[in-house]
Amino acid sequence: MRYTLLYIYIIAASTLLLSGCKPKAEVPAQFAEADTEAAIYPDYKDIVVPPNIAPLNFLVKDSIATAFVARLHGSKSEIIAASSANDAIRMDSTQWRALLTENKGGDISVDIYAKRPDGWVHFKPHKISVAEEPIDAFLSYRLIEPGYELYRQLGIYQRNLTTFEEVPVYENNREYNDGENHCVNCHNYRMGSTESMVFHVRSNHGGTIIVQDGKAHKIQLKDSTIITSGVYPSWHPTENLLAFSTNKTGQAFHLYHPEKLEVMDEKSDLLLYDVTKNEVSHIIRTSDDLETFPCWSPDGRTLYYCSAKRNYLLDPTVPDTLITQQLLLKFDSLRYNLMSIPFDPKTRSFGQPRMEVNAAAESKSIAVPRVSPDGRYVLYTRGDYGQFHIWHKSSDLWVKDLQSGDCYPLTEANSPDVDSFHSWSSNSRWFVFSSRRMDGNYTRPFIAYFDKDGKAHKPFVIPQEDPEWNILLLKSYNVPELSRDAVRISEKDLRQCIYETEGENAVYKPNPTAIVVLDGMTGASPRKPADGTTGASPKKPE
Amino acid sequence: MSKKSFKQPQKPAQQKVAAAPQKRGKRLLPVLPIFFLLTWLWAAWYYGSVFYISREYSLWSADTRIMGFILCQPYGILRYIGRAMLLLYKYPWLGGLLMAAMLTAGSWLVGYCMRLKATWRPVQYLPALLYMAIVTWYGLDIFFEARTGFIFGIPFVALVVLCIWSIMIRSFSRKPAPAFIGIPKDETPRQNGLQLLVIVVAMAAIIGFDLWQRPYVRVICKLLDMEYRQDWAGIQKLARAHATMSNRPMACSYAISLVQTGQVSERLFEIRMDYDSLYIHGMDGHHNNASSLYVPEGNYFGGFIQSSQHACMEQMVMTGPTIRLLKLSTKCALMNQEWELAEKYLTILRKVPFEGAFCEKYGKMVRRLDLVNADKEMAMIRLTEPLHDSFENQYQQPLFMGYNLMLVEGRSQNALLNSLVVCLYTKLMPQFIERLEPLAGSTPPSIIMDGILLAENKHPGIAQNFNGLNFRQPQLQAFIQNTQPYMSDRPAHAYELFPKYKGYYPYYYFFGNLKATRKGYTSLSSSSSGVN
Repeated sequence: MRYTLLYIYIIAASTLLLSGCKPKAEVPAQFAEADTEAAIYPDYKDIVVPPNIAPLNFLVKDSIATAFVARLHGSKSEIIAASSANDAIRMDSTQWRALLTENKGGDISVDIYAKRPDGWVHFKPHKISVAEEPIDAFLSYRLIEPGYELYRQLGIYQRNLTTFEEVPVYENNREYNDGENHCVNCHNYRMGSTESMVFHVRSNHGGTIIVQDGKAHKIQLKDSTIITSGVYPSWHPTENLLAFSTNKTGQAFHLYHPEKLEVMDEKSDLLLYDVTKNEVSHIIRTSDDLETFPCWSPDGRTLYYCSAKRNYLLDPTVPDTLITQQLLLKFDSLRYNLMSIPFDPKTRSFGQPRMEVNAAAESKSIAVPRVSPDGRYVLYTRGDYGQFHIWHKSSDLWVKDLQSGDCYPLTEANSPDVDSFHSWSSNSRWFVFSSRRMDGNYTRPFIAYFDKDGKAHKPFVIPQEDPEWNILLLKSYNVPELSRDAVRISEKDLRQCIYETEGENAVYKPNPTAIVVLDGMTGASPRKPADGTTGASPKKPE
Repeated sequence: MSKKSFKQPQKPAQQKVAAAPQKRGKRLLPVLPIFFLLTWLWAAWYYGSVFYISREYSLWSADTRIMGFILCQPYGILRYIGRAMLLLYKYPWLGGLLMAAMLTAGSWLVGYCMRLKATWRPVQYLPALLYMAIVTWYGLDIFFEARTGFIFGIPFVALVVLCIWSIMIRSFSRKPAPAFIGIPKDETPRQNGLQLLVIVVAMAAIIGFDLWQRPYVRVICKLLDMEYRQDWAGIQKLARAHATMSNRPMACSYAISLVQTGQVSERLFEIRMDYDSLYIHGMDGHHNNASSLYVPEGNYFGGFIQSSQHACMEQMVMTGPTIRLLKLSTKCALMNQEWELAEKYLTILRKVPFEGAFCEKYGKMVRRLDLVNADKEMAMIRLTEPLHDSFENQYQQPLFMGYNLMLVEGRSQNALLNSLVVCLYTKLMPQFIERLEPLAGSTPPSIIMDGILLAENKHPGIAQNFNGLNFRQPQLQAFIQNTQPYMSDRPAHAYELFPKYKGYYPYYYFFGNLKATRKGYTSLSSSSSGVN
């Protein structure tokens, strides 16, 4: 009994002590007006947020203040939160949800007060606009260190954007094991639904993992005609098909350059994989041109991709074994255009490729086309050269309006640093993209509102329970992919599939409508692209 | 039955205890305190530098989010606690005190838990001595791949287990514990002496093994420590004192110190550069060339900031962040004017105990390019930064001198001299000659002069463009004449000729870096690498 009382005293005293550390969450009665806005981290000022986003906790940066109070108020309700000097302003999630719901389509005003040695000051308020449309609730990404060749612990994770919950979809070995070490990459879902999922495993236990109906199986996309295996994937929206690029990729590190590394393809083609039949075929196979980043339109009748002419950069007298070296010396001259190729889902036949955006003509290069789920816009990244824009500071987000044909930059969303890999929310009103704007090195996922007029609004980094985590985390968020629902397979089942199955070899079956343009030899198909309208090689096939 | 058998042997023991004071003279010594002092000396003075570097190759913060990469691993908590304790090695005497206290307490508890009688009491010291032996055996491996949590983690777990065990014994049997500080009452002078003998002999064997089989471990760690403290004179003194002990981390530290003090073209070859293999293993368990110990720093001090960042990142991928990598990454970010990135690394370092001085010094440089350029170390590095970009795969070794042989333009005389010395080091005479033009009409530094004289054979007349070479010509002729008998089997004679021609470039040109290795202190064969 004596000890019980003692424990109660200790707990009570600890509670009092802890509560005493945190300032009282009430707006100060007296304060001076500051003529500036508060400096907050992350920058959540004047942004548009989805009504289902998790609380936007933030840090106030004021070196002399010892406490802060924030008041967020809309038309009906308010939240008052407080923090000490080194802690974040954290909102109660229930109150936050209510505030967003009540102010859907309206604005929330944010008033910040700082307790300085000479008393409280009130900064100029800023606002947060709440959109009507929600964002897809789940965001998947790979967490990896930026700029390296070796790999060890990495994984694909899934974050619930309406809360702070993050769960691993799949992680490789936490404790290093040379025999088990492998890389995972390029996860992708069909039209924002995790019903169909794909990602790759490289090195030990390698293969392409396809998850459907909550079951995983491993395949090997290998054939003498396929450059490597499947790389960048895109699920067909209606058929059980996957388009892949197949790339022979290398990377090199700069010695003295604002961009730290360059990733280049020496060769690349496009593949079509029939999941049901386990058959793979080429969509485009060219020996001279580089095709990559396939993306289906939402109706499944067009495949967008990027294509670059390579051979004009090469000295024909130099042996093929030195192609990579040659390309490396001209890394800033390789430019990709945005292309499309029609597809008939019934006959599985492809039409003639056509140029969508001739970026090379403007000395620019395009990568990662993604069509909005409503089919109206193609969102892509545009940089000065190359295709691995995630390391190009010139990389910005652009859209092509497929109705008007206009192309324009998403100025409000872009930054002077890298703005690259992106994913649409299924209602086409939001997209997530990777940006290095915070420190130039570590990518963080930013959310931007895309209004009905095709204009992007100021983006914001995904909220964290402790906003300082954006600084402390020594990994990049890679390949952010939105989905409406959570991944439907457990990590254990994925691990079992990866570790315990060898992978079924896909059967190569040539597609008679494929574009095959090979240098000095006949391909599987006699077809060639229409002159002047393709990104394929001008050389004639035999 | 059991009571009887328990009591029977008590009688002679009691008699013995009673008799012991009569036998004991003034010669009896308090063994546990002596053991404590000896282990403290070992852990702080003798091996302190190794543990200090282990701390730099580790990271600990009270913020468990930062430590997630450790906590999620097997024995994560143990590693976390071990890393926390290792932090005390910021001050080796303090860290050594903790280690000695743990080993001594552990020894005492072993004796208590095992109910060792005086005759068997030397046994209680064996686990601690075994631990010291294992640490010595592993050498550089104790920190190389940042498995630093085990250094203190293992003795800590052992201590906890012994504490619990002893509490149980104390709770149930009330057995009295032997004296911790004083002399146990049941010891005879002989037993007392035997304990001391075991301890002294075992520790001598451990140190002997270290000096015989791992002599480079403490030297490398001291050099790294001096490198972090920018004690260039200290590095040169220590490296020259161990001039015949050849390994790449030492060569890198030595070269860095010479570059920083402008002596690289005068004294680079005063240490042997044949690179005996080290006992060091990577994460895969295979023998490693130890490049992780020097490549990030070699690139940084060689003016290749981005390559240094890259090397830091590669190591962070493999080992997780460490104090050393975060500090170097901070400096690289400052040199590159990546202010937000520097602030990021500093934010993490501010959460690491005892790193306030570093954070204060470099925190002031954020967004202050003038302060970055005014820093002595960084200003020297600026002089050797490349003028033009190229890719690392065009970047030729030696990594530790970091000069890209593809680049033929430099921004300073320092860059030119470094480049020339690297050409001589790699014995690439055509590239050496290509770079000589700016020195025409001058008296080059001694190593460059010797290089020119050697190049004269294939490029007659080149020496006429420089002053002062005539004085060195006789020395070269004498060297060639004297070493002629050894030229047929140079690797076999390289080691014996080194003391005579230490520092003389023609010796290095003909006899150095030939994969020759001294037979002796390392049981491993020479490294598989060639000239690099």
